[in-house]
Amino acid sequence: MTKSLFVDPKELSQKSEIVFQSIPVNAYDKSVADVRTDFGDEALVRIYRDMTILRAFEDMLSKIKTQGSYGGVETTYPGPAHLSLGQEAGAVGQAYALGVEDIIFGSHRSHSEILAKSLSAIEKLGEDALMFIMENFQDGMILKALEKVYKAASVKDLAIHFVLYGALCEIFARENGFHRGMGGSMHAFFLPFGVYPNNAIVGGSGTIAAGAALYKRVNKAPGLVICNIGDGSLGCGPVWEALNFSAMDQYHTLWEDRKPGGLPIIFNVWNNAYGMGGQTRGETMAYDMLARIGAGVEPKQMFAERVWGHDPLAVIDCYRRKKALIDQGEGPVFLDVLTYRLTGHSTSDQNAYRSKEEIDAWTEVDPIKVFREGLVSAGVAGDASFADLMAETEERMAKICGWAADTELSPYADFEKDYHIIERMMFSNGKEASFGDGEPMFLAAPDTCSRAKQVSEKNRATTDAEGKAVSKLKLFNIRDAIFEPIFDKYKEDSTLISYGEDVRDWGGAFAVYRGLNEVVPYMRLFNSPISEAAIVGTAVGYGMMGGRVITELMYCDFIGRAGDEIFNQMSKWQAMSAGILRMPVVLRVSVGAKYGAQHSQDWTALCAHIPGLKVCFPATPWEAKGLMTAALNGTDPVIFFESQRIYDMGELFHPGGVPDAPYEIDMGDTNIVRKGTDLTIITIGATLYKAVEAAEKLSHDHGLEAEIINLHSLVPLDYTKILESVDKTGKVALASDACARGSFLEGVARNITELAFDRLDGPPVVVGAQNWITPPFEYDEFFFPQADWILDAIHEKLLPLKGYSPKTGLFTSVDQKRRAKAGV
Amino acid sequence: MAQIVNMPKEGITVESCIVGAWRKDIGDAVAVDDVLFEYETDKAAFECLSTAEGVLLHKFYEPGDEAPVLRPAAIVGAAGEDVAALIAEGAEGDQSGALDISASRPDSSSTIRDKDDANLGSSFGSGPQDTERRSVSDGSESQGGVMAAGGGAVASPRARSFAAEQGIDVRTAVGTGPGGRILEADVIAAANYMAATGEAGRSGALDLGAARPEVSHTDTIGVVTPTDMAPDAAPADIASEAGADPTDAEYTDEPFTNIRGVIAKAMVASLANSAQLTHQHSFDATSILSMREDFKAADEALGYGGVSVGDIILFVTSRVLAKHPEINAHVMGESLRKYHTVNLGLAVDTPRGLMVPTIFGAEKKSLKTISSEVKVLAAAAREGRISPDRLAGGTFTVSNLGATGVEVFTPIINPPQAAILGVCGVTERVRKGKDGQPEVYSSMGLSLTYDHRAIDGAPASRFAAELCEALGGFSWRALALDRKGGAI
Repeated sequence: MTKSLFVDPKELSQKSEIVFQSIPVNAYDKSVADVRTDFGDEALVRIYRDMTILRAFEDMLSKIKTQGSYGGVETTYPGPAHLSLGQEAGAVGQAYALGVEDIIFGSHRSHSEILAKSLSAIEKLGEDALMFIMENFQDGMILKALEKVYKAASVKDLAIHFVLYGALCEIFARENGFHRGMGGSMHAFFLPFGVYPNNAIVGGSGTIAAGAALYKRVNKAPGLVICNIGDGSLGCGPVWEALNFSAMDQYHTLWEDRKPGGLPIIFNVWNNAYGMGGQTRGETMAYDMLARIGAGVEPKQMFAERVWGHDPLAVIDCYRRKKALIDQGEGPVFLDVLTYRLTGHSTSDQNAYRSKEEIDAWTEVDPIKVFREGLVSAGVAGDASFADLMAETEERMAKICGWAADTELSPYADFEKDYHIIERMMFSNGKEASFGDGEPMFLAAPDTCSRAKQVSEKNRATTDAEGKAVSKLKLFNIRDAIFEPIFDKYKEDSTLISYGEDVRDWGGAFAVYRGLNEVVPYMRLFNSPISEAAIVGTAVGYGMMGGRVITELMYCDFIGRAGDEIFNQMSKWQAMSAGILRMPVVLRVSVGAKYGAQHSQDWTALCAHIPGLKVCFPATPWEAKGLMTAALNGTDPVIFFESQRIYDMGELFHPGGVPDAPYEIDMGDTNIVRKGTDLTIITIGATLYKAVEAAEKLSHDHGLEAEIINLHSLVPLDYTKILESVDKTGKVALASDACARGSFLEGVARNITELAFDRLDGPPVVVGAQNWITPPFEYDEFFFPQADWILDAIHEKLLPLKGYSPKTGLFTSVDQKRRAKAGV
Repeated sequence: MAQIVNMPKEGITVESCIVGAWRKDIGDAVAVDDVLFEYETDKAAFECLSTAEGVLLHKFYEPGDEAPVLRPAAIVGAAGEDVAALIAEGAEGDQSGALDISASRPDSSSTIRDKDDANLGSSFGSGPQDTERRSVSDGSESQGGVMAAGGGAVASPRARSFAAEQGIDVRTAVGTGPGGRILEADVIAAANYMAATGEAGRSGALDLGAARPEVSHTDTIGVVTPTDMAPDAAPADIASEAGADPTDAEYTDEPFTNIRGVIAKAMVASLANSAQLTHQHSFDATSILSMREDFKAADEALGYGGVSVGDIILFVTSRVLAKHPEINAHVMGESLRKYHTVNLGLAVDTPRGLMVPTIFGAEKKSLKTISSEVKVLAAAAREGRISPDRLAGGTFTVSNLGATGVEVFTPIINPPQAAILGVCGVTERVRKGKDGQPEVYSSMGLSLTYDHRAIDGAPASRFAAELCEALGGFSWRALALDRKGGAI
């Protein structure tokens, strides 16, 4: 939505037709002899050598998994081996054309891409750079182990062994793996050589790679991004979201850097005809020719092309042309690289879905065989020398296999000695004021932002200097408290970008960003398509590249649309990289009210359940500003819940109101908003205000003083103040707007019971929303916790209130059991 | 194969017993039904008969120990048999026994809940919560709040740990939490109350800050046992310190027996929790005394030989009481439960202390039946063999001290009963005769104590006056009328 683009009915009502351009299929028609001079024999032989390394590496894995031994080394491992035997030419061709600064993302079947890109980087990097990388990666641990058993002929030779040994240790779950064995076969990446995470979720790299490309474009970082995915992933919605996200019109219509195209990314689809066993062409997909998809995304058809992936020279030719396009500011590019895996999806694959005849036919065109024939016939060298090269590679691989299998040289992580190995990897817990070096980009001086000026003039407490109540319009509210630290961070960190649905001109559906568009450029604040998976997944890619990003899901209920991106990607990469990657991503999630069953749910429990996410939910302006500041200074992924019920709320509790100056709230701390001695009420989110109402009734009608503790942080959570309060009162009610069953507060109640059992005067009682659909707003009081419900809970479970008559039967044991039995 | 002999269960409300003297020692031969040891509940004494044959191999308890019922008490088997495993098993059972006791007993309201379950409609509005909430004081089997807590109300972990910290028996508290749960505040209230009333076993008002010396609690059912009450230093030590012969000590400390402790608590609770006052009345005893003489002289075949003055008073009281349900009643805290049957409690002096066996349905029983039942019950009580179930359920109590020459006394109500009748001795009195001349007659005194919370002075006096009139006019004619169903 932007006023600068006119939606013109005159133009739109004209009769016309959509014209497609033809898409090249296997256009490359040169032989080795044709290009021998261009490449030089050394390069051509190295292409062959790299292919043999890839082949031998996976052949080794295959034998280990199926026979328990390779080259005289007896070993095996329980993890997966998704092999790409037969696909080596594409991987080598792609890597050959890429620079060190170009980065690749992969899939579950990415060993060859990883090794090919690493070999390419080794070839291109100087010896000093290589030594620096090896000596510093994981404090030189991998290199030190390698040097114990191997005397290298050269730095490049050492680096090749380093890569093979580190990758194999990673697959074998050893501490000398690139990521201390925490990633494994499907996540054996190596950042210094431009190898970014490969992903065990089919299509998982689609949005992440797009986010990395977004980083490169916004921050003018050199190089491009390759998204290696398989033909099977074209059935995944998030991949389509990523294609569109990479090609959005605004990149060339609205963005300030004035480039002709979109994101600098090549979607490289390894089209090996199968998604596991499902045959894509002819069975599960409809595209006939996969390259056709490019034509459906944007007018330039994503420069789509089908390439014969068994010829490394064809792939190199294609990449050289596409890279040049991206250098000119074009993109994205879509490649359909034909290939075939000669072995099964995994080592347990019985090939029930394809014939021996078919496999034999493809074995005939095995790229290693065909390319070698080409080299021989072009006279590059005699066949015997290539046979020697293959034998040499296999011999080297057996040695490396022996080293990686040796548990003394390559030990497993010792959990018995150090129980906290993974615990330390879950969060980076860093503090970075800024990830950028440059001057943050603005359209105008930030101080000219009218909203910022207005916010700075607002009253930061609910009463003014004379003690009079401040009018709502002049009150510094939660909306302002979120805006303020974000605006400050825009000024501080040049990498900070923010996007989501309708965040720019609209200012976000709830006007948190209102006015930012006066000074913040499109490149740093833009409307995303309605693509929740892409909104989160691209943020993950942007964050892992070292950029700070804050994205928004308009309603909490849309988390389902970004399930994989939140639960498997955003949460996991810090620990799966053994702490090498950081994830400075804040995901704002707004919990709705008034809009019924699919727009009013509090799903904090889902996010808190997933290891690796920090989760917070401020309910007052003081909490909101302090937590957003902490989130934006941190290096961890934060799900930042907000409630639409209370955006207008001023600060009622914090003495002196909300400070002007920046401050952080420790994530994990809790906020005692009301002191009391008789019982404790613990709240999350907007229910805080219902609890305050209940506390006032308890005080007025029953002479009981409730202590209210608001949990603005769910993960992490420090129980100290909670337990101190329970120690004092012995009675705890917990309330939030989340449906009661499986809510986060049920876990808190359980922990209190375990940690303070002997201090309890009754069972901690959880007051949650009904386990129903959220009904229309007219029935709100029957669905969401009310002050009376809290009183009922206290009366029934903790302390009968004299003369009190419960308003609901919710907290009787009879009804509790009945509801559980009925599943409601 | 060695066998475990369990502690028997006497009466449905008995959870544990105090073990008394062992009649067999380790190594003694034991036959089935041989007496192994004596034991007593808070209300009666019993003998434990062996259920196995062989040699006594192990005693789980020493005299004075408290033993949960239906848990191992002894092991009987072949001489020299290894019973270590059985002992361990027995000890485990002991623990779980303790847990059982702490759990709430079968709940009389559970059937109501089930019924509610079936017709439960909406959770909102006047829902099932009203019927689910149990009245704390509801429980006719209880002996007032103190005993109710001991009987089965559950205490919160906080209340338990606080009570343990302070050395207080948590079951002395009256629960005010949901379902009668004992809360920390209830324990504080109980402790302060006991400190104020000086009840045995507590000392001083509760100082919440200071730790109190631990009293070791051997009991598990809420009764303070004699061992808990043992003074820190034995009297002998004090005496010998003074250089005197221990047998010449100035005093001896006699610990309260189990029953004494129960009586002590029940008496204090009765006085503390109700508004008691006593009316003095008297009646002309000439008639019943002459009836007593008639009975003694009557043909043995009539069966009146053993009928005492006390029996006559019980008989007449049962008849008059039947017409005064407001007196024949339990005070239920907020309500009065009027009984339509007279379960007459009979205070009996026993070597173990006061016991009150019950004559159920006394208003329908004949004078002779009452008389013989009184004899059986009193003997059983004195010998400590009465079933605990016969010691509960009274709706009114008669305490007869007439034989001791008491002229006036103030009997203490047995909660939750609304009143108690004290019977005093016979005194010779002078009154103005028919011709205006003084005449001497035999007068008997009645002391009616009643709970003013539930009963006012006028109705209490009306009942007493009616009773005096019926006793004063008691005759063969009245007895005959009663048999025909007419008024006495």
